[in-house]
Amino acid sequence: MTSVRYDNATRTYEGTSVPAVDALDLDIGDGELLVLVGPSGSGKSTALRMLAGLEPLDGGSIRIGDRDVSNVRPRDRDIAMVFQNYALYPQLTVADNMGFALKQAGVPKEERRTRVREAARVLDLEPYLDRKPKHLSGGQRQRVAMGRAIVRRPAVYLMDEPLSNLDAKLRVQTRTEVVELQARLGVTTVYVTHDQVEAMTMGHRVAVLKDGVLQQCDTPRKLYHEPLNLFVAGFIGSPAMNLVPVGDERPLRLGGSAIELARPGDAALAEISGAITVGFRPEALQVGEGPLRAKIRTVEDLGSEVFVHLSLEHRGQPLALVSKMMPPFDGEPGDSIGLQIIGATHLFADDGSRVVSTTATLQAASAPAGVASDASPAAP
Amino acid sequence: MNTTLGTRIAPRPLGLSESWRRRLPLLPALVFTILLTQVPFVMSIWYSLTDWKVVPPTPRQFVGLGNYGKLVSDHFFRQAAWTSIELTVVPVLGSILLGTAFALLLDRKFFGQGLVRTLLITPFLLMPVVVGLIWKNQMFHGLYGVINWVIEKLGGTPVEFISRYPTWAIAATLIWQWTPFMMLIILAGLQSQPGDVLEAAKVDGATPFGIFRQLTLGHLRPYMELGILLGTVYLIQVYDQVAVMTGGGPGSTNLPYFVFERSIGGGWDFGRASSYSIVVVIASIIIATVALRVLSGLLKGEEIA
Ligand SMILES: Nc1ncnc2c1ncn2[C@@H]1O[C@H](COP(=O)(O)OP(=O)(O)O)[C@@H](O)[C@H]1O
Ligand SMILES: [Mg+2]
Repeated sequence: MTSVRYDNATRTYEGTSVPAVDALDLDIGDGELLVLVGPSGSGKSTALRMLAGLEPLDGGSIRIGDRDVSNVRPRDRDIAMVFQNYALYPQLTVADNMGFALKQAGVPKEERRTRVREAARVLDLEPYLDRKPKHLSGGQRQRVAMGRAIVRRPAVYLMDEPLSNLDAKLRVQTRTEVVELQARLGVTTVYVTHDQVEAMTMGHRVAVLKDGVLQQCDTPRKLYHEPLNLFVAGFIGSPAMNLVPVGDERPLRLGGSAIELARPGDAALAEISGAITVGFRPEALQVGEGPLRAKIRTVEDLGSEVFVHLSLEHRGQPLALVSKMMPPFDGEPGDSIGLQIIGATHLFADDGSRVVSTTATLQAASAPAGVASDASPAAP
Repeated sequence: MNTTLGTRIAPRPLGLSESWRRRLPLLPALVFTILLTQVPFVMSIWYSLTDWKVVPPTPRQFVGLGNYGKLVSDHFFRQAAWTSIELTVVPVLGSILLGTAFALLLDRKFFGQGLVRTLLITPFLLMPVVVGLIWKNQMFHGLYGVINWVIEKLGGTPVEFISRYPTWAIAATLIWQWTPFMMLIILAGLQSQPGDVLEAAKVDGATPFGIFRQLTLGHLRPYMELGILLGTVYLIQVYDQVAVMTGGGPGSTNLPYFVFERSIGGGWDFGRASSYSIVVVIASIIIATVALRVLSGLLKGEEIA
């Protein structure tokens, strides 16, 4: 049973006043691949290093399995870590790098050799076992770093942005390999990345950090469809969710159009006071027919999908929106075009928390808002 | 040669005149240096091939390699050469060991770090003659030396270090003076070791001593080699401490002091004395060549990493 539990864990670096990781509560299940994601400086590495024992705790505790490891030395924690810059031992050969931890543990030479060979075979490193790290390519070094971890069967694997130094193509490929490897070994893994695509594709669950504070920890699907707050909504998804501040006017308006919410949203809206932000993902914004006019700024045609970047006048200021369309799409930059919302729409309260998710439609500007909301079964 | 140098400095090959124009300002200094160092050297070589006694004055005579032939059978020369080796190897090894120990102690954050580091470096900043005098009079002296004072306080009998163990006394002084130099080199090596590698080793289960033995020592090797070679090149030529502390007293005459004794120090046999100094120079050149190779290897290694 090697679950991991952060309990109110806090770390404040010397010479700083704000905690780098602030009262983190996180439960990681046995065999789970949990991804810690967040922008640069959000405390992901710090959280991982706390689990590794490389940073002391200033508050709270950390458990690995049934054991409180808060005051246990790194070497006694039974963890393996993959570092962002790999941290290979430069004077040792690939084989010795991979066998290093086993040697420290007093594993006999013969067994060490077979286990290193076995790991090298899995990672396609067999031809390089006698080389020094500096004679390897970036991708090979990355695999040695992985190999150093997998020759061991530790309680937990820790990986700090292990793919960030690879080129884009290799990164995607290695991503899959890491997921498969983790599934096969079934070892509890904490994986840190700043790349939300990596997080969403790899994690069984994803924990989103911002300024050292945990925002939400959920399955990728739930993070995407039910973000707990504005930060998560904006951070997860690419291109990012359209977030439109609509102030405290009722009815809600986007540009010159009224936003009409389906029933549950409408009821919830009545409960909220203060400024509101409306959020809808690019795929929920349809370009073509629609009551609201916007200008096309740029069109990104990726072949499988088209991102249309739009601008319109909203509350006296220019507002940028993104729509994701299926090809073919033949609008040109500069064209004026109609907009309609066709999917999930989220309402966020003044404090950033999500109040309700519902569906919405845009009503033509001329229609008086009160009348429209009564006579409206008009979702496409 | 000109073109390779030119292309390395600028992307386009420079004309010969251009490259010479660039070097012209350096020329006076270069000529001066060559005159100052190479002319005496060449003259020494010439002297070493002659039989030239000043007292009593005899005409200088070319004897070819005769002086070198006599070296082999000269008991005093062999003794001096052996002392030179002792006074080089012992201080170099002693100071590299102590320097490494101090560097390991200094390679962490503690209160008053800067002050301690500066104090530890001071022996290296003293003039060799001053070092010799301090140790001879303040430390080793039989009557009022600090060491004997401590020995007496502990109930022992005082030892006349300099007359009983002249070579070891000089070696101890040299170790004291050279430890800071080695410490600085090793400290630079320690601080260039990547932190994440050490952290990886910790996570991989290595003990602090295991990390030092399996990783740090290997990382420090080129730095130690550099320290050893630079120290050797310098220490093989040590003269001041010998002259000040023992005056070449029982068994502590090394080659440089022997050269002095055989020439202006009273021997007045410039031909043979010159041949000794040439031997020292050749030994130094061999060591320095190796040192430079190590140094360039070190720089290249840093580039790759
Ligand atoms: N050794 C340190 N000393 C002081 N502050 C640090 C140190 N390491 C990280 N920080 C600060 O802690 C915060 C979190 O850092 P980190 O955990 O490295 O973020 P991330 O890995 O998410 O980019 C940042 O604001 C960073 O500046
Ligand atoms: Mg980081």
